[in-house]
Amino acid sequence: MNTLPKNPLLEQFLSEARELLEGIGQKLMQLEEAPSDRGLINELFRMVHTLKGNSGLFTFPEMTRVLHAGEDLLGKVRNGEMAFSRELADRLLDAMDFVGLLSNDIESTEFIDASRGKDSARLSDSLRALIAGVSASSVSAGSPLVATEFTAGVLTKLPPLAEIPEALRMEAFRRSGEGEKFHWIAYRPVPECFFQGDDPFHRARQTPGLLWGRVLPAEPLPPLADLDTYRCSLNFHLFTAAFHEELVEYFRYVPDQVEMVAIDPLWLSLSERKSEDICNPSAEMQGSVEECSPEAIEKAAALARILAAQQQILALDDHPGWFSGRIKAVATVLKNLANSVGNSEADGQIEASLAKALAFSNGLPMLEWLNAHRSQFTAIIVRQSTSGGSRGNAEEESSASDPAKPAADDGIKLGRRAEDNQIGPRSLKVDQAKVDRLMNLIGELIVEKNALPYLAQRAEAQYGVRELSREIKGQYSVINRIADEMQDAIMQVRMMAVSIVFQRFPRLVRDTSRKLGKDVQLMLEGEQTEADKNIIEALADPLIHIVRNSLDHGLESPDVRRAHGKPETGTLTIRASQQADSVIIEIVDDGKGIDPAVIKRKAYEKRLIDEAALERMSDREAVNLIFAAGLSTAAVVSDLSGRGVGMDVVRTAVEKLNGSVVVESEVGKGTSIRISLPLSMAVTQVMIIESDGQLFGVPMDHVFETVRIPRRSIHRIKQSMTAVLRGRVVPLKVLNSLLGIPAQPKANADDELSVLLVQAGGGVLGLLVDGFRETLGVIQKPMAGFLSSLSVWSGSALMGDGSVLMILNIREIV
Amino acid sequence: MPIEFKKNRVIFRDVARVEEAESLLEALQKKPVAKVDLAACTHLHTANLQVLMAARPCIDSWPRDLDLRTWLETVLMPAS
Repeated sequence: MNTLPKNPLLEQFLSEARELLEGIGQKLMQLEEAPSDRGLINELFRMVHTLKGNSGLFTFPEMTRVLHAGEDLLGKVRNGEMAFSRELADRLLDAMDFVGLLSNDIESTEFIDASRGKDSARLSDSLRALIAGVSASSVSAGSPLVATEFTAGVLTKLPPLAEIPEALRMEAFRRSGEGEKFHWIAYRPVPECFFQGDDPFHRARQTPGLLWGRVLPAEPLPPLADLDTYRCSLNFHLFTAAFHEELVEYFRYVPDQVEMVAIDPLWLSLSERKSEDICNPSAEMQGSVEECSPEAIEKAAALARILAAQQQILALDDHPGWFSGRIKAVATVLKNLANSVGNSEADGQIEASLAKALAFSNGLPMLEWLNAHRSQFTAIIVRQSTSGGSRGNAEEESSASDPAKPAADDGIKLGRRAEDNQIGPRSLKVDQAKVDRLMNLIGELIVEKNALPYLAQRAEAQYGVRELSREIKGQYSVINRIADEMQDAIMQVRMMAVSIVFQRFPRLVRDTSRKLGKDVQLMLEGEQTEADKNIIEALADPLIHIVRNSLDHGLESPDVRRAHGKPETGTLTIRASQQADSVIIEIVDDGKGIDPAVIKRKAYEKRLIDEAALERMSDREAVNLIFAAGLSTAAVVSDLSGRGVGMDVVRTAVEKLNGSVVVESEVGKGTSIRISLPLSMAVTQVMIIESDGQLFGVPMDHVFETVRIPRRSIHRIKQSMTAVLRGRVVPLKVLNSLLGIPAQPKANADDELSVLLVQAGGGVLGLLVDGFRETLGVIQKPMAGFLSSLSVWSGSALMGDGSVLMILNIREIV
Repeated sequence: MPIEFKKNRVIFRDVARVEEAESLLEALQKKPVAKVDLAACTHLHTANLQVLMAARPCIDSWPRDLDLRTWLETVLMPAS
């Protein structure tokens, strides 16, 4: 029952759920700042309400239950019955985390593991506990009346099986003889269930194994003018042949509104003999079936069975010789029964009717007595079981909190109405794969378009038709413009605001800083800055890492800050901005900064740098050592009490996106980490170089400079070649030998060699190539299949003339 | 609209939804004598059902859907 096919609706639900959860977290945090902001509370309530409603579309009761509790709680806050508190926020955040967890479960397995049920119950209970705390205190003044009313209602009764048509009952009895089990269900929907999208009548009609059912008003229906169409005032009695588990499953959204009684075949049999009112002990039965304790039911059933048997005996109108003995036996049974239920007056009456019966040699006088007093027997049993039993208390409590509910209703009604009037959404949700496909197509179009100039050239050079060549060029410029615009448009579609990533920081900062006992104010700037979706998504993890580090090691605790004459509240700023073709993200804190001396020493101890480098290194370079891989061990961090936890991970992630990261820090003042990323990964600028007659692409991000160096300025130091460029020694390598091409680099007419200076591994290196060509924007395709294991290529691209350009992975080859 | 309001008749079709309960209530308040035609109805939301139960209008034709008819007859049949 739990599993669902992966359907688009579910996927949409999941993506919306994520958005809503993030929004809810955000609103909760904002509310902590401004607990009395009505607008925020309303919005928060609406979000939780929407999420709950959405979850109700699927079979995720674990999720719905928690959300429902959260919604009720927020409803109270909204109506001013409760104040917003930190505790409340904490619990709600916990609950939302749990819902997020469930969404992940659903996404991976498409159903919620049954083990989550316990957590779900615990969380919704903890939320409800907050509500209860309030309603207990606020309702207590006027509650006695309410309370007594409900105790009166908790009479233990047998299910009114008499309602069931006789033929059906007999059929059921026959079937129960064959081992079938039947259940009686009293389904009492809560009045506000319509707002939860519930249709109790539908639910009742669809009950598994339903044999019979009826609708009855919970209380006499008011005149039409007073009828509230949006409050459910109907109850349902159902008689079903389904298994208990099946019914529990079916009613699992509304377990609190359903009472289920397994039917003893005997009750059916009794009814069969037209003595149905035996199990219908009192006239007030027309109402609902209240919960019966199993013992009481059994006792009443046994009693009813005995009484029915006596009635049958008395009703016999044959006159065998042993008639008087039979009548006497009945009288004895009745007397004993009366005694067993503590009805002492019955003795005399039974004696009297026995005498009459014997006198007329007819069972009728006794039957009359029995018919008249029968109900007393059952009523006594019922009374005994209620006065003696402690059950019903829980019921009472939960109902006691109910009267407060209707008040919350009016608001919901208005909310729902307003929602109904909403116009359709203006934004589309599109599967990313579809956009990616468009992207690929436009990429191909751009490549194809680049073939046109070649064609024009051929038309002129090969066929000598200048006219045609010019026309082709004209057409080309039009297609070029459209294709560029199209590409731009599609890139826009893939653009996402960094706020998607920033959203989670308020929560992260709040939780972490509270855990660390620090006071931190988070400032987010430039949330509207946009970048390609892939980049934004890949940015999340490194950013979290950096922020955590800042909180943990950068910002000091309030007393330390005070001692240093800084404001107690530390400030952490995350700023996004766009500069030309890249997105810049800065994480700035005003903490204690990084001491370059300490870093240098540590790096030296770890043998990451040698003595010479130690001397030569500027402070700025030293601080950037935190991104070196070896520095990120736990021991270093604790000693260093600076940054260092996995900062190399950050660097790797950023570099994977063709970005760069630098850190600047001033001891005592703070640290600033600056990440620069390309706006889009779709188009890569490459420089085309030639080597041994082949063309290769080198990503422009790596290209530092192109120079021509006279052969005589190249010095050989043992095996390695170097050259001095602007007073700097640059190591040189031959691209051909790196690629295993058995050819020497070609020099030009002036005996100069072409050197491509590339940035790799933190240093600059010269690659000797044969020549440089133009730079080109290409759409890089990753290597697929067997080729994907060749790490020297980062990918391939199609050139305008249809040839394939291999893009070098500079980091790998040097 | 699954519920159609004519001069003196209220005609239910297919599934009557919760949103329609209010207009049903209004219609029956204005014209208590209106006859209700449920023949083409397959289900009605609880909200509509309780309006009918409170208004007790004259049921002109019962649902062709036998299951629904059984449910409704017990509560909407005029007391005899």
